[in-house]
Amino acid sequence: MRLPRRALLQGAAALGLGCRPRAAPPGRQLVRLWYTYGGKNRLVLEQLVAGFNAAQAEHWVQPVFQGDYYEGLAKLRTALAAGAAPALSHVVGEVIPYLAEAGVLEPLATRPGVDQLDLLPALGQAGTWRGGGQRPLVCLPFNRSTPIAFYDADVFEREGIAPPESWQALLEAARWLSTTDASGARRYGFACPIDWWFWAALVGQAGGELIEADGRISLGGVAGIKALELWQRMVNEDRSMKPPPGRDYNAWEATNQDFLAGRSVMIWTSTAFVRYLEDNARFNVRAAKLPGFVRRAVPTGGTHWILLRAAPEPEKAGAWQFLRYLHEPAQVARWATSTGYIPTTQSAVRRLTEAGHYAEHPNDAVALAQLDVAQPWPWSPRLFQLQREIIQPRLEAAVLGRQSPRAVMQDAVRLAQREP
Amino acid sequence: MKLLSPRRPTDPYLLLLPTLLILGCFFFYPLLAAGKLSLYSWDLLTPPRFVGLDNYRALWSEGLLLHSLELTLVFSLGVVTASTILGLALALLLNRPGRLAAFARASIFSAYIVSWVSVALLWLWILDADGGALNAALQRLGLPGWRWLSDPRLALPSLAAVTVWKLAGYAMILYLAGLQDVPAHLLEAAALDGAGRWQRFRHVTWPLLRPTTAFVTSTGAIASFQVFDVVRVMTQGGPMDHTNVLVYAIYEQIFLNLRVGRASALVVVFFLVLLGLTLWQLRLWLRREGAEGQSPPA
Repeated sequence: MRLPRRALLQGAAALGLGCRPRAAPPGRQLVRLWYTYGGKNRLVLEQLVAGFNAAQAEHWVQPVFQGDYYEGLAKLRTALAAGAAPALSHVVGEVIPYLAEAGVLEPLATRPGVDQLDLLPALGQAGTWRGGGQRPLVCLPFNRSTPIAFYDADVFEREGIAPPESWQALLEAARWLSTTDASGARRYGFACPIDWWFWAALVGQAGGELIEADGRISLGGVAGIKALELWQRMVNEDRSMKPPPGRDYNAWEATNQDFLAGRSVMIWTSTAFVRYLEDNARFNVRAAKLPGFVRRAVPTGGTHWILLRAAPEPEKAGAWQFLRYLHEPAQVARWATSTGYIPTTQSAVRRLTEAGHYAEHPNDAVALAQLDVAQPWPWSPRLFQLQREIIQPRLEAAVLGRQSPRAVMQDAVRLAQREP
Repeated sequence: MKLLSPRRPTDPYLLLLPTLLILGCFFFYPLLAAGKLSLYSWDLLTPPRFVGLDNYRALWSEGLLLHSLELTLVFSLGVVTASTILGLALALLLNRPGRLAAFARASIFSAYIVSWVSVALLWLWILDADGGALNAALQRLGLPGWRWLSDPRLALPSLAAVTVWKLAGYAMILYLAGLQDVPAHLLEAAALDGAGRWQRFRHVTWPLLRPTTAFVTSTGAIASFQVFDVVRVMTQGGPMDHTNVLVYAIYEQIFLNLRVGRASALVVVFFLVLLGLTLWQLRLWLRREGAEGQSPPA
């Protein structure tokens, strides 16, 4: 049977149309948005996009899911190299200095209405990085978080203990709460991903900085070693902390699942999981600030919105309008209450406070209050490399491989100072 | 014979052209590009910087090259050996009529048609150290549980076992086909000559299964060298890089560490290793063919 030529052409055209991104409605400027949220966050973001598209008739934001944070970043770099970058995306804070120094981010300071954004100081560029306020504005916060402790309040009450305020109290509580039942199943007092973010929190609590004020990479010095020693002791000596299997966000997910299943009584994870844990636990979930050692400290995390310089100006203008819409109190509040991320503007916090949200959700109030001890990151294009190549692989070596924390950190500092 | 001769001498090359184009676009060009990029330091954002053999030196001095290569070879050797032996054993056991045998064959083969990600997720639950089915079963028997995926000594063997579980059904089906091609009269003749079951297998069945074995081991080697999904889902190269096999290391370098040059250097090494193994296999094959050709008729 011979296929008519017209049928073949129609088939090819249909195939081509199927592959082509959906265009904006007539008369509207298409704004491509690449995002890396899954699950509930994705749903809420898509609702916010739909709200923006319905609220005005000039722009049309088209959200495209790009995998997790790292996959999204890899695709963004590939698109930049291919000259096909979207106007708007969001990336983890650790790569912002790297992207800014590479000159791919659009400066935002001259965009209309930028002065009206009443960002929470700790979450904006000025508070996220040391000296971030003196640099050209290149990012805006949206899904921002900090590490936080969640615990099974029923078990804590039954055992008569309070959330730990110090490392010593953490050691004692984790030991006390760890048990093994008759079948040999272990319940751990504490669980935490062996991850850069939580290690950075411990370094801050032990009084260290990753990069000193003079630019020298120290990776916390003695504080970096003390952080590893704490984990090593809890995992290997006390057997009171469960290191979850897997790496990166797989380990985070495993930590959450262990907590929900009652295999660990207290975990460190992101504030962003508050709604998820509250909704899925069969016990009372309570949040607590992370303990201190020589001081209280937490790093901030999550992602920041960026405009890509290479995108056409009309599309960037539309993306900026969308960002302004997202930073209106109603949208910030909706995003924060639906997901668990910390609201990023003062007006949204006021709105939520007045509406009684924090009285009704005390765990959200803990996350917000902890911003008082948020530690800024160093502004370094190598921050991402320090995370991925220098620190992350060595955390496992020290904690699971039982290598000497001092030797591991000395090796890390040597490599970090040597390698460009 | 005249019908098979090309009308024009260029005709065979024209017929090969589509294949050549596909290979050129999707194999030779990317390979050459990887070779070139392996000599540069490039993050896709800033201009590439020529660094000569520095990427290879860095991979060598940091130990990643040898480590990943060693892991991949050990993994592949373990998977190919175990899946071949298990596949053969299952085929011998289930090469019989009856509903039960048919059900068992279908059940075992079903693992092969399930996607790698589904298999990895299933085994992630089975091998979980604290809530997993395997440790629960061991504890019921009074045996201690193990950290199958987070103990550096056990993680790679655990992933290999999962891969064997998936591939063994495929090997079994191929061996079943091979067994059904073994002429019954040869086995009967051997039995009449007084050969026992083991001798019949050793001297009749096994030699006739040699082409099947070659196919099973070759496809097993290809699958095990390309292992990625189970690593990505179950261990992400950890713990302590003990499952950071070559393909995952390439992924990690380019997609997580943003190093195009080093990832390309790993691609080149990976290609050379596979090329070496293929040439070695080809040489063995040709030597065997030659030896068989020269052997006197029985």
